[in-house]
Amino acid sequence: MALEIAMIGGGRLAEVMARLLSAAKGDIRVRHWARNPEVREKFGERYPSFSRHDSVQDATKNARIVVLAVPTHALEEVATRYGEVATADQVVLHACRGAGPGFVLPHKVIRGVTCARKIVTLGGPLHGRDLGSGRSLAAAVASRFPQAIDAVRAMTAGTPVKLHPTQDIVGVEVAGAMSNVWALASGMSDALELGDTARGLLLTRGLVEAQRVGLALGADAATFAGIAGLGELIPRKVSSMERHQEAGAELARGKSLAGSILEGVTTAHAAVELSNKRRLKLPLLRAVASTLENPATARAALESVLALDLDDLVLPRPAVR
Amino acid sequence: MVAQLVRRAETSGPPLDEVLAEAIYHEQRRLHDDHGKRADADRVFWRDIKHRLGRASDRTQRELLEEVIGHYAGEIVGNFDPKVYGAVTKAGPPALGLLLNAVSPKRLLGGFGSFPSLDDAVILQGDIDHAKKLEQQGTLILVPTHMSNLDSIIIGFAILKMGLPPFIYGAGLNLFSNPMIGYFMHNLGAYTVDRKKTDPLYKDVLKSYCGITLENDYDNIFFPGGTRSRSGAVEGKLKLGLLGAGISAYVENLKRGVPKPKLFIVPATLSYELTLEAETLIDDFLKDVGKSRYIISDDEFSKPKRVFDFLTSLLSLESRIYVTVSKPMDPFGNPVDLEGNSLDPMGRIIDTSRYVVDDHGVPVTDEARDAEYTREVGERVVESFLRDNVIMGTHVTARAVFGLLRKYNPKLPIIRLVRAGGQHEDVELLEVYAAVDKLLAELRALALSKNVRLDPRIERARPEDVVEDGLRHFAIYHTTPAVTRRGDRVFATDRNLLFYYQNRLEGLGVWPEPEMSGALSKDRRTLGGS
Repeated sequence: MALEIAMIGGGRLAEVMARLLSAAKGDIRVRHWARNPEVREKFGERYPSFSRHDSVQDATKNARIVVLAVPTHALEEVATRYGEVATADQVVLHACRGAGPGFVLPHKVIRGVTCARKIVTLGGPLHGRDLGSGRSLAAAVASRFPQAIDAVRAMTAGTPVKLHPTQDIVGVEVAGAMSNVWALASGMSDALELGDTARGLLLTRGLVEAQRVGLALGADAATFAGIAGLGELIPRKVSSMERHQEAGAELARGKSLAGSILEGVTTAHAAVELSNKRRLKLPLLRAVASTLENPATARAALESVLALDLDDLVLPRPAVR
Repeated sequence: MVAQLVRRAETSGPPLDEVLAEAIYHEQRRLHDDHGKRADADRVFWRDIKHRLGRASDRTQRELLEEVIGHYAGEIVGNFDPKVYGAVTKAGPPALGLLLNAVSPKRLLGGFGSFPSLDDAVILQGDIDHAKKLEQQGTLILVPTHMSNLDSIIIGFAILKMGLPPFIYGAGLNLFSNPMIGYFMHNLGAYTVDRKKTDPLYKDVLKSYCGITLENDYDNIFFPGGTRSRSGAVEGKLKLGLLGAGISAYVENLKRGVPKPKLFIVPATLSYELTLEAETLIDDFLKDVGKSRYIISDDEFSKPKRVFDFLTSLLSLESRIYVTVSKPMDPFGNPVDLEGNSLDPMGRIIDTSRYVVDDHGVPVTDEARDAEYTREVGERVVESFLRDNVIMGTHVTARAVFGLLRKYNPKLPIIRLVRAGGQHEDVELLEVYAAVDKLLAELRALALSKNVRLDPRIERARPEDVVEDGLRHFAIYHTTPAVTRRGDRVFATDRNLLFYYQNRLEGLGVWPEPEMSGALSKDRRTLGGS
């Protein structure tokens, strides 16, 4: 019996997921829906093995896995729409890397508008452009339901992506969301020509702060030293440039990002809110957020963070064997 | 049940001789320090089992296992006599007074005309009609907070007053030590839980018993805190074992195709203005914060005079015990409507059977999956407890005085402040009024947004009246009052008790939070603060 998968979305994330699903070798059937009929049409042309559907209801009917392949800012709206037709047995997969106002994590957003419980997060250093390169890839897959992780593994069977399972959905989502704030800081640092040492210091601090946020929300400390934390930081932020780094660089050059829906921008604001509420010490995050308010302060903000003593990452105790 | 458990032991888990050897080990270790008639009989039983296990064939091992499970089951189940239940319940609330009198056989013999009526003191509120309606649609699992050994009786009374049929409930073995109360408790549906028994097989038998009663549509009561709150705070973390029995029973009901397969979880928060065993409980909490504590078997509940003094002083002061029934939920933590339909967060009806089906749509139990559902239910129940906690004058007064002591001893860790006291042990009455005023404002705002409940007597009261009421209550029951007024100053005369009563406001984030961190940890199981 083929594994029925519904994919919802038509943007960049949907493109990545579509490439991933196209590479799968298992017996899967993908049913696609996007809000925009033209996007649906184009997706259909690019991925002819996917069936096209005119409604969420039609696409998700009898689906075992529902992939909400949309960015954080669109998640609630799409999940609410899906919630109208969701059934309690479905596995819901998302790959959002951001947090909403009040630092509400993506799985909580889905949980808040649907009956779905078996929610799975895809995190870690997975990049769409690497799919199809033939290289081995890795990602973190997090859910509190082992059964749901098994379903996602069956879905991606035969792809070059090795999935590393964890139950720590909070940790993976926090690391993912905060990684975009690190990327903004890293871009700012580059544009200001603060040097490699400063960038390394800022990224390390970023990881410590992400862990601090994660622990406050009930995450496992080990997650931040794993593939969703360090595993993403090393390949993604040190050696590559991407949207957030570019945005960070523009910010440091004085361009305002006001009104931006970049996940790093919304996450930075939400994290400041959380930090105030929970009394968390997050100087880098505050520096990024204050620069977002006033781009002219970029250098002063980063330098004030660099002048601080660096706190240590809370590393998990090694298992006794 | 015995056959079912034996079958399970044979088909999964370690070999039978290991299961039996483990049972013997755990029981003999328990009996090493246990005395009394029951312990003597148990010693004989286990010696015999051990002797026969030595040379046992597979068949004999099976028989021995049946015997052991039967032994445990017999102790757990006791005898339920519908006639006794009928007699007690028909007589109505006064008979429950009689039940309370049972803690003192002397009083029973001497007549109980002067015994106070629970009707005046116990206030039932919340979603009672909802719970009653759901009782017609499926099986109820009532999950109350646990403050005192009186809870079983208060809850029994509440069920009766609500007009619900008898519930089955687990009660600590120590509650049965009084033959009179033990007799009534068994016949009001109580089964025994011996928390000293550490044998995993015993826990299996206990869980199976609950499961089977639930599958047979017997409404159950579990105290999900596992034991009485030692700190005085509302439970922040629950023992999920028995709570999870709801999902297993639901799956079994679906498999068997029973007409009403649904189960509903009904949290209930008990709020006391004064707690009978406050002194012993808080002492135990402080003695061993963060570690597993011993089982208290000789507290105030075992002293009939204390129980009587407590109840009479409670009632003479027009004190209240609130039983607040929270919104019912399904075993997955979803809210349910009056017809028993589960609702998603947007109010849409959910087909919950799909939460428990496998890839082929067949209902199955899955330990990992069900543990996660149960964890979520636990979170929802904890939220309900906090929301339906009724704050009274004693709690607010204690919080205000304790908060001021913390303020004046800012560097002192909570444990030292409570145990040894700080440099400042008394505070100005006017300051207490001001702190109470601030607390009342915060609590009223929380009550308005339905995040806590307030005793109507403090809803609009002036701070001066709340403090006076609090002091009056503290003075009348406890050996040493938590706080005492001397002129224009208020003294912390029993810091343990002060801490105990102030803890009832932990988790609400009210003053002295957020300037100071909570006095208890986030899950309210150990100390917090600084």
